Amino acid sequence: MSEWFGILEYAFFRNALAAAILTSILAAMVGTYIVSRKIVFISGGITHASFGGIGMAYFMGLNPLLGAAVFAIASATGIEWIAQKGKVREDSAIAIFWSLGMAVGIIFVFMTPGYTPNLMSFLFGSILSVGMTELYLLLAFCVFVGLLFWIYFRPILHSAFDPEFSQIMGIPVALFRYTMSVVVALAIVISIRSVGIILVLSLFTIPQITAMLFTRSFSRIIPLAALLGVLGSLSGLFASYFLDIPSGAAIIFFLTFQYLVLKGWVELKNMIYR
Amino acid sequence: MREALISLKEVSTGYFSETIVRDVNLDIFPSDFIGVIGPNGGGKTTLMKVILGLQPLFKGQVLFPAGKPLMGYLPQISQVDKSFPITVRELVASGLKAPNRWFPHLSKAQKRTVNQMLDEAGISWLSSKPIGELSGGQLQRAFLCRAIINQPRLLILDEPNTFVDKGFEQELYRWLKVLNEKMAILLVSHDIGTISPMVKSIACVNGNLHYHPSNQITEDILKVYNCPVDIIAHGPVPHRVLKEHDR
Repeated sequence: MSEWFGILEYAFFRNALAAAILTSILAAMVGTYIVSRKIVFISGGITHASFGGIGMAYFMGLNPLLGAAVFAIASATGIEWIAQKGKVREDSAIAIFWSLGMAVGIIFVFMTPGYTPNLMSFLFGSILSVGMTELYLLLAFCVFVGLLFWIYFRPILHSAFDPEFSQIMGIPVALFRYTMSVVVALAIVISIRSVGIILVLSLFTIPQITAMLFTRSFSRIIPLAALLGVLGSLSGLFASYFLDIPSGAAIIFFLTFQYLVLKGWVELKNMIYR
Repeated sequence: MREALISLKEVSTGYFSETIVRDVNLDIFPSDFIGVIGPNGGGKTTLMKVILGLQPLFKGQVLFPAGKPLMGYLPQISQVDKSFPITVRELVASGLKAPNRWFPHLSKAQKRTVNQMLDEAGISWLSSKPIGELSGGQLQRAFLCRAIINQPRLLILDEPNTFVDKGFEQELYRWLKVLNEKMAILLVSHDIGTISPMVKSIACVNGNLHYHPSNQITEDILKVYNCPVDIIAHGPVPHRVLKEHDR
C-alpha cells in the first residue's frame, strides 16, 4: 500500500493524475455532445486530420499542439459547412479530411530532417510526460467549457436536438453549432496528449455509452460520464505504472472493461426482474 | 376588413434547382383552421417551412401585415431523433424563450408554466422520462405542449395523427378545437377523411396550392384541383366525409 502512495511523491505522476482527471471531465462534457448528436465519426475525422497539423508544425519548428489545433478547427468547421450545404455526402467529406490529414502529416514528418522523438507520443499519447504548462492549458479549457455548458446549456441542447425548432425560437443555431464544432476540435486536440490520436475518441464515447445504461438525460449523462471517466483513467494510469504498459491503451482498456461489467450487470438485473 | 396574420404572395420554392411548390397565394387569418392536404412529395411540409421562415424562397413574398406573429410548430415525428437524450420536461421547456439571451436560463415563473403545461396535458408523470421511452400518443402530446406553451398566434401541426391510437386522435381534435379559439391552426395531413369534419377550410398542396373555403370536399373538386389524395384510391371516401359532416 505504501508503494501506492509512494508514487504520488513524483511530480510527473501527480501531473499525470491531474491530467487524467481534467481530461476525463472535459471529455465527459464534450463527449456527451458528440454522442448525443451522433457525430462520433465526424470527431474521428477531426482527430486524424489534426495529425496533418502536427506534422506541419514539426517541419516548421512550431508547437505541434498549435498545428493540430489549426487543422482540427479547419476540418471541424469544414465538415459542418459541407454538411449544411449538403452537396457532398457528409461521410465522404469526413473520409477525405480523415485521410488527407494523415497523409499531410506523414509527408511533413518524412521531410523533417532528423529524428522526431515525440511523434509516437502523439499517436499513442504519453500522459506521464505532461508538463505544468499543458496542465494549466487543460484546466483553463476545462473551466471555459464548463462555463459554456452551464450558461448556454439550453441553446446548446436545443440546437443539437432540433435545429429547425430552435431557429423558430430565435436561437442563433448556426453560431452555436459552429462554436460547438470548434469546442469539439479543441477538446480533442488537448486530450490527444493523454491517450494519443488513435485512442482519444474512446475517451469521448465509452464513458457516455456506459452512463447511458443508467440515464438518458443529457444533463445527467455528463456528471456520470465524468465519474466513470475519472475511475477508468485512474485505474488505467496505475496499471500502466505498475505493469509497465502504455498508459493510453491501459486507460481505454479499463474504460471498456468498466462498460462491459456494468452492461452485464444491467442485463442480468433485467433478466432477473422480468 | 379582417387583417391576415400571414400572407403568401406568389411564393415559389424548392431544393437546389428543383421547384417543389410554385406561385402559391394564401392568406391566413387569426381564427382560421385550415386542413392542408395533398399527396406525399406535393410540398405540404415545404410550404409549412416557408411560413415558419425556415425555407428560403425562389421568388415571391411572405408578409406579416400585423408584425411577425409567434408561431408554434409540431414537426413530423418521423423527423425527430427519438434516441436523443432529452427529457419530456426539457423538450416542453424548449418551447419557451428565456428572458435574458446572454444568460438563457428560464425564470421561476416560466418553470411553473412548464409544470402547468405538463399537468394540463396529463403528462406530468412522464416529465423526467427521455423521449425515446414514450408511446406515439405520449410523444405527440409532448411535442404539442412544446408547440403551444409559448401561446402562439399560429399553430402549425405536421401529421400529428401519425403513430397514435384512435383514442388519442379524438382527444387531439377536442384539444385543437379549444386551441382554435385563441390561435389560427394549420393542420397538415395526408388523411383527408379524418381531418375534414373538424377543419374550417381546406388547402390542397400539390406543386401549387388550391384553397377551398369550406370543409366539404368532393372527389370532383379534388379532380379539378389535380389533387390526388392517397385515400381516394381506396374507395369513395369523400362521400363518407360529407355524411359525417351532415350528422
